[in-house]
Amino acid sequence: MTEVSVAVKPPSTATKPRRGGHRSTKRSRREARAAYLFLAPWFVGLLVITIGPIFASLYLSFTDYSLLEEAEWVGWDNYVTMFTEDPRFLSSLQVTTIYVVVSVPLQLAFALALALVLDRGLRGLPLYRSIFYLPSLLGGSVAIAILWRKVFGAEGLVNSVLAVVGIQGPGWVGHPDYALSTLILLHVWTFGAPMIIFLAGLRQIPRSYYEAAAVDGAGPWRQFRSITVPLLTPIIFFNLVLEIIKSFQSFTQSFIVSSGSGGPADSTLFYTLYLYLKGFKSYDMGYAAAMAWVLLVIIAGLTAVNFLASKYWVFYGDTK
Amino acid sequence: MSSGKKMWSAALLATAVLAVTAACGSGSGGGGETADGKIKLRFSYWGSDARQKMTEEVIKKFEAKNPTIDVEGEFSDFDSYYETLSTKVAGGDAPDVITIEIRGLREYADRGTLADLNGKVNTADIDAKVLTTGAVDGKQFAIPTGVNAFSLVVNPGLLEQSGAKLPDDTKWTWEEYVDLASKISSGSGGKVTGTQLSWNPAYLQIFAAQRGEPFYQGNKLGLTPDTIKAWWAIMQNLIKTKGAPDAAKSAEIGATSVDQSLLATNTGAFGMWWSNQLGAVTKASGQNMDLLRMPKAQGATSGGMFLQPAMFYTASAKSAHAAEAAKFIDFMINDPEAGAIILSDRGLPASSKVLAAVRDKLPEADVKTLDFLDKVKSELADPPAAPPKGASAMEDILTRYSEEVMFGRMTPDDAAQKFITEANASIAG
Repeated sequence: MTEVSVAVKPPSTATKPRRGGHRSTKRSRREARAAYLFLAPWFVGLLVITIGPIFASLYLSFTDYSLLEEAEWVGWDNYVTMFTEDPRFLSSLQVTTIYVVVSVPLQLAFALALALVLDRGLRGLPLYRSIFYLPSLLGGSVAIAILWRKVFGAEGLVNSVLAVVGIQGPGWVGHPDYALSTLILLHVWTFGAPMIIFLAGLRQIPRSYYEAAAVDGAGPWRQFRSITVPLLTPIIFFNLVLEIIKSFQSFTQSFIVSSGSGGPADSTLFYTLYLYLKGFKSYDMGYAAAMAWVLLVIIAGLTAVNFLASKYWVFYGDTK
Repeated sequence: MSSGKKMWSAALLATAVLAVTAACGSGSGGGGETADGKIKLRFSYWGSDARQKMTEEVIKKFEAKNPTIDVEGEFSDFDSYYETLSTKVAGGDAPDVITIEIRGLREYADRGTLADLNGKVNTADIDAKVLTTGAVDGKQFAIPTGVNAFSLVVNPGLLEQSGAKLPDDTKWTWEEYVDLASKISSGSGGKVTGTQLSWNPAYLQIFAAQRGEPFYQGNKLGLTPDTIKAWWAIMQNLIKTKGAPDAAKSAEIGATSVDQSLLATNTGAFGMWWSNQLGAVTKASGQNMDLLRMPKAQGATSGGMFLQPAMFYTASAKSAHAAEAAKFIDFMINDPEAGAIILSDRGLPASSKVLAAVRDKLPEADVKTLDFLDKVKSELADPPAAPPKGASAMEDILTRYSEEVMFGRMTPDDAAQKFITEANASIAG
């Protein structure tokens, strides 16, 4: 909802210089009024669909709420239970953290590598770009759950290939030690979005830098390290922040591959999946709301750290 | 400025469109009347497209007989059914007639969501013990649609091809079951696996009943750790003797639907399901399937198998049209015309009259189920009462600890204790 919000300004003040005088003030006021009227539907939506529920969930996080009965105020109980009496909460946090820490760098590295290849000016670039973007569109669909079982199942594609070289692989999706890695692979596979952004970033780097470096005798690796990476750091930073937030909120991958259980043996129990199970399977919506707020705090904290750390490694051309 | 007016009207139009769509979204609440003065009755259920078509047909029949009532089916797939239902109830927008399973019954009944249907629906033709499963604290909140029994499904053809023989299921033990399963695996040269594991609480319930233990005792588990461990030992032995796939493949199959089971894909000889799945398994495999009695524990006096309603019809406590809701439920349960369309889609009809009327029209697999249930009727245990609220999560909890044991990540002792603790916490509320 919020992503599609567009800043709207009264047209006259933005495009034409003010002429002064009584008439035009009146007119601009009238146009401002019209603008607010146009904004009204969006604003009502924001209030009713976004801000209202946010505050409702904050209130609910301090209650015992089964969805079917009235909510009952319990203070900090939900938050305390989470960190003291709920091993599944902590294990879901652990699973999610491993998932984020492993999959985000892998995905970004992969996306950057492909963007570099595509940036070399291949023929038919738009076609390749579309093909590579395809997994991002499919990543959350139910068909992928079936595909993933066919590929990583006990008798799946991967094991068939391994069998040729005499290795009998385990059932990857069904084994608690490996199931999470298949989800990480699934995440890495949906590298399209960051790749497109990297590609745009690479196009921004002036060719003359490379030419000058080549004249000075810099090889491709040296060029990559001293020109591409530094000039691309704002883009890397942007992708990093975005992907960390997105993968902390991952739900679909685990939901469809484990058919909603987070199994086997909780090895793919993502934070949001556990939140969902608590809310809709255990009828404990108050607890689920509290979990949502803890997630918000975690993500906000990580993003803040990310921004603070960015001072030391992100290079904006105009600041230094 | 000429565009001023245009702008105003455009903005007004946009607001109006938004208002209209918002109004459509919220529906017309619990007790609405349609434009032509008919009473609107909302009926929620889950299932396949085939069930939806069939249900719409029954609804048309009901509306033809009751021209003042307009029934609106609210249909979703099972995975999202309770999610949608609980949200509707929370929003004060509960459907008038609600389909529910036994696991969800007390989640809703204990929270005051459902109306007492005692005396409002004719239940004279329903087996009294089966009917009791829809009652909580003496109030008849739910009317059973039809019954099932959790049973062992076998593919006799595959079994014989592997050189094994069909067991005498009136007196076979769990040890014999494990032996037979591993013989099938080895006899077929690995092409067919004996059986696949099941973590359905109904399976454990049957096993526990053979040892004289109830699954639930009030708001607590009635199971002892020994029983749970003995149950896990069967599955561990199956894996060890290759009578069932290893833990990883079992977990993989367990997460799929019945259509992708070993039995349905003709790669396994046994499987355990509710008896109404016989049709689905037969259809998917294209081969002949039979139902068998569950094996027994040594020295067991009861086989432990039981009938359980496939689903229930309930009415919202807040419905503005309680009388019409009861009338609709009565029609769905007792009317032979409704029964002739529904057949065994919601379990073998609970009403004996309807069952007698549609018996000849049932598909072959259901006739088989019916014959099987008739055969074992005298051995069945009483249908268990609806499990306490919080039991919706039982299958997940049981599956999780079972997998921990099968993968050797927990000892059976440890897992049994933890399972009991977590299950009790879940149903204590």
